[in-house]
Amino acid sequence: MRGTRTASGWLRTAAGVVIVVVLLFPLYWMINASLQPGGALLRPNPDWLPVDGTFDGYRKALSTQGGPLLDSLVVAGGTVLVSLVIALPASYALAQLRFRGAQPLIFALLIVQMIPGIVMANSLYAVFSDLGLIDDYLGLILADSTATIPFAILVLRAFMLAIPRELTEAARVDGASYWRTFRSIIVPVSRNAMVTAGLFSFLFAWADFLFAVTLTTGRSIEPITVGIYRFIGNQSADWNAVLATAVLASVPAAILLVIAQRYVVAGVTGGAVKE
Amino acid sequence: MSRVARHLVLGSVAATAMLVVTACGPSPATESSGEPAGEISELDYYADQQGSRAWQQILDTCSRETGITINRQTVPTDQMLPKILKDASSRTLPDLVFTDNPTLQQIASTGALTPLTDYGISIDGYYDSIIKAGTYEGEVYGLAPGVNGLALIYNEKLLAEAGVEPPRTWQDLATAARKLSGGGKYGLAFSAIPSEEGTWQFLPFFWSNGAELSALDSPEAVEALRFVTELVDSGAASKSVLNWNQNDVADQFVAGNAAMMINGSWNLARLDEEQGLDYGVVPVPAPEAGTDPVVALGGEVGAIPATGADRQQAAAEVLKCILAEENMLAWDTAHAYVPSRKATAEKFARDNPAMRPFVTEVETARSRTAELGERYPKVSQALATALQAALAGERSPQEALAAAQREVGRS
Amino acid sequence: MTVVAQRPAETAAPVPRRRRRGTGRQRWVALAFLVPVLAYVVLFFGYPLVNNVSMSLRDYTVRSFYTGEAPFVGWENYAAVLRDPLFTEAVVNTVVFTVGSIAFQFGIGLALALFFAGRFPAGGLLRSLLLLPWLLPLVVSGAVWRWMLDQDHGVINAALRAVGLADGPTPWLTDPGWALPAVIIVNIWIGIPFNLVILHGGLRAIPQSLYEAAALDGAGPWQRFRHVTWPLLRPVTAVVLMLGLVYTIKVFDVIMVVTGGGPANATQTLTTWSYHLSFGGGFAFGEGAAVSNLLVLVATVFGLFYLRSARSSIAEAGT
Repeated sequence: MRGTRTASGWLRTAAGVVIVVVLLFPLYWMINASLQPGGALLRPNPDWLPVDGTFDGYRKALSTQGGPLLDSLVVAGGTVLVSLVIALPASYALAQLRFRGAQPLIFALLIVQMIPGIVMANSLYAVFSDLGLIDDYLGLILADSTATIPFAILVLRAFMLAIPRELTEAARVDGASYWRTFRSIIVPVSRNAMVTAGLFSFLFAWADFLFAVTLTTGRSIEPITVGIYRFIGNQSADWNAVLATAVLASVPAAILLVIAQRYVVAGVTGGAVKE
Repeated sequence: MSRVARHLVLGSVAATAMLVVTACGPSPATESSGEPAGEISELDYYADQQGSRAWQQILDTCSRETGITINRQTVPTDQMLPKILKDASSRTLPDLVFTDNPTLQQIASTGALTPLTDYGISIDGYYDSIIKAGTYEGEVYGLAPGVNGLALIYNEKLLAEAGVEPPRTWQDLATAARKLSGGGKYGLAFSAIPSEEGTWQFLPFFWSNGAELSALDSPEAVEALRFVTELVDSGAASKSVLNWNQNDVADQFVAGNAAMMINGSWNLARLDEEQGLDYGVVPVPAPEAGTDPVVALGGEVGAIPATGADRQQAAAEVLKCILAEENMLAWDTAHAYVPSRKATAEKFARDNPAMRPFVTEVETARSRTAELGERYPKVSQALATALQAALAGERSPQEALAAAQREVGRS
Repeated sequence: MTVVAQRPAETAAPVPRRRRRGTGRQRWVALAFLVPVLAYVVLFFGYPLVNNVSMSLRDYTVRSFYTGEAPFVGWENYAAVLRDPLFTEAVVNTVVFTVGSIAFQFGIGLALALFFAGRFPAGGLLRSLLLLPWLLPLVVSGAVWRWMLDQDHGVINAALRAVGLADGPTPWLTDPGWALPAVIIVNIWIGIPFNLVILHGGLRAIPQSLYEAAALDGAGPWQRFRHVTWPLLRPVTAVVLMLGLVYTIKVFDVIMVVTGGGPANATQTLTTWSYHLSFGGGFAFGEGAAVSNLLVLVATVFGLFYLRSARSSIAEAGT
């Protein structure tokens, strides 16, 4: 806790604020634009503050985008669950157990990530339309997981490599099965990494547009990224509503982010793995 | 056996061979109860709220009139064709499709569509150009409830301040645009993005000068491209046209950054909403006085895929209703399109004087696919690339178009 | 957890023996733990890959979608793609885009991670805020960037003028020479949060005691970074860079929204070109598939090369 509330600590806070302001400027610009009439920011001297604000965009967004927001939450949450359930045991095996073929498998996981999204989406559409998974939460969750599982495995495995093998093998000596070792040592110790992997899985699924637009027809479920397209036509775009929707959509996710980050900080596993 | 039915049989045989595609999909040619189905699915890309609402009203009206339930799907514009192709391969095509007219022949060439005349839909009284756009190999597969074209929209106040008359010829346009430029503002805004939208905006210059899509590197074509390039080089139009789609162009116009713009009638509703903006509309300037400009015909055509006789019959009932005069007028008024039947358009222009220049233009407008059919998209892409190369200063207009012609001739 | 931490010393001796004996069984155990992911890979990646390879060897047209007829043409599509004058340009653009994006995303991400590793008031909150760009759909952030980069009225050019960094307007999106740097900047902005979070996690896993020991030995900040942070961060670095490569090389939406591949193909990468070939007007689906397969191939070669040259944790793990 050294230096937390000293002058140098506050200096760093000030520097941090500057960094955040610079990097988040596009976001501010978006909020600014969401409160001004379309095209206002293209004027020779745009208003840096939305003084003549309009809440039109927000009115439109609120009246139509409630359902899509909920759909996105379900899909993103489901994706986190599926990704972790599949990635955790795999990462344990890849990081802690000895067998041939681990390297090719990791490599394969990376390579399959390079299949362009459109190819994946089109193929999944063909499979899903046979399985009845079009317009289905499960279908979207499974599709989004294709992007998040390899990622989650890599992150979890990298963290699990840092868990000394002696730790787990000691548990084995005490008579714990592999499954129990996994459940009662690996999983709790990896909490930090799980939050990281889960967080990004959530964000992946939240921001996905390609799968969302390909695997739904707009009849029953409609993720928020597709909902935004309601305001972008081929001949006109209601940027107020688009940006307002994006702002509103960021709110629940942002809250989740902050909470998750606290959890990362709270779950300091360094102590358990130390030396 | 009709050509379509033959395609279907061949299609199902091939599909059976393909593992994944098999299970679903009705076998259309066989089950004919003679009765129209009670519900159909419909696909369109009127995704923006205003357009979506107007279209929904037409669908509601026709659902009431025909007693057929319409399940509507809307996709973003650039997802339209991928979606139709996917649906075609899994035999889950919607019963009624409204697609951009230059893609119609492409879709018809798959064999998935049925001729509208099979259902007794009349093709009389329509503009020739829209019939041509909907025709593939001698059969009409698509008809539009409304069409559109580009015109020159100008800011009355800015033109009056500069003492400039709305331009009628290229010479006028160049002079006026230069006069209206300066101080971070530009005389003219248009779109030259590397896609169909860029080609569509360039075609009025290309065609009005007598160039043809079959010879992209003709002297007339080079002259047209040189004219547009000089507008940008002289600072009469921003170089950002390379990156502006038509929405952006309208934004620039509304923001007062451009005194004139090339854009479509659908913008008028939006321009009317802007307080303190007075605008006028004239046809796209022609190369010389006394000649008529030739613009490309825009608009979405309705088509009926082969999904089963009873469903097709129901889709035809709905399409007939949409094409009926009062519904056509309602849609075109709400969406600022021009009715696709001459007589209806005449009546429409009388009631909506602001639309007069667009109605006049549609009479001479050309279908983009009339000449080249399903080869059009490829040529269009090459032309858009040439436009980009010339405006970006990568190549001279001459070289850019020669390269485009080589590209098209390559296959 | 304290119990756990005490164990290693007691059991250090028997471990090697057990490990030798256990190897055969461990293989089966490992397999059991891997079953879910193996099933996933086969089900969800196998089909698209096979399908795409098959498409690239056929003359696939719009007609083929409906009729299912697509004659086998062997390597014809690949030959056509390689002959295309755009091929070289797209490859060069892809390499520049990928390398440029990763280098800066990683560099900035690491600098920020180090900065936020120290504890100071509101540090955690500020760090969380930096993740916000990730929440935005690319359609939206791309459009906002397009306005900001506008040559005449964009806020970026206005800012550059105001601080005297540029005299005239920079033609970000309209000049073939500037467009690629511009989309790279946008992509860097999008990628920073990802790099930051993972590297931050990696930094936290480095025991504080090592730094304290190094400080006692008189190591300065640079030496501590050089001899403690960097080597211990390497497994995480490897993951970040590898993932950066696979995600960046196939970036699609960013480029499509910001420039659409223009001006004059200046920002056309293999991914956007593949899309253009398929849906841009030529409807050459076979060629489009060939390009995306080439992309996978190129990336595989990249990956192998990387595995060989860098003695990364990925390489070590398999042994």
